[in-house]
Amino acid sequence: MKKVFLEGAISPEFISESIAKHQSKHSIGAHNIFLGQVRADEVEGKKVESIDFTSYEEMANEKLHEIREAAFEKFDLTCLHIYHSLGNVKVGEICIFVFVSSKRRKPVYEATEWLVNQVKTEVPIFGKEIFENEESQWKVNS
Amino acid sequence: MIQVKYFGVIAEAAQRDSENIAENNMTLAQVLMELSTRHSLGDYHFQVAINRKIVSEDSDQVLSDGDEIAFLPPFSGG
Repeated sequence: MKKVFLEGAISPEFISESIAKHQSKHSIGAHNIFLGQVRADEVEGKKVESIDFTSYEEMANEKLHEIREAAFEKFDLTCLHIYHSLGNVKVGEICIFVFVSSKRRKPVYEATEWLVNQVKTEVPIFGKEIFENEESQWKVNS
Repeated sequence: MIQVKYFGVIAEAAQRDSENIAENNMTLAQVLMELSTRHSLGDYHFQVAINRKIVSEDSDQVLSDGDEIAFLPPFSGG
């Protein structure tokens, strides 16, 4: 099973290394990348400072495996990678990285959106927004 | 023995991440009612998984030794 969860924020260096690793795969003609960044939402005058992510990891890994298999059935892809943070990720940092590659561009656009939606709705990950004043609230996906 | 896991806001409300309960020929619906009452979870939205698969909360499936039940609040990854 592919490793999806990373402790803390996903660094720009990690993302650029992932891109570099694909330069030896010469059947690829198109990559598409989605990066989700923690936003400083304001709720009743309090600003979000970070999000703490937790997961039911055993179930999440099984579900992510099914999503991967389904994506390869549904779209003409060469490879795909999904990474998601666990633990604390600060405002401005990256918490999800979806990287899709194919011979041509059309399937990578479609697959990226489908994959991000699947992760948000089907994978047991829970975000808790931490405010500047150390109060918190459980995140709700919109 | 049945292992029960709690996540997110449900773990906070239940004041625990997990607990073991005796396997007693109870249906899932009966176990959920008992645990919801014990930990005052009546006001929370959650889905339930048995052995890492989402199931209907009113399932009359009888739980077996070694089963793992999870209380899952709304997912908010991404």
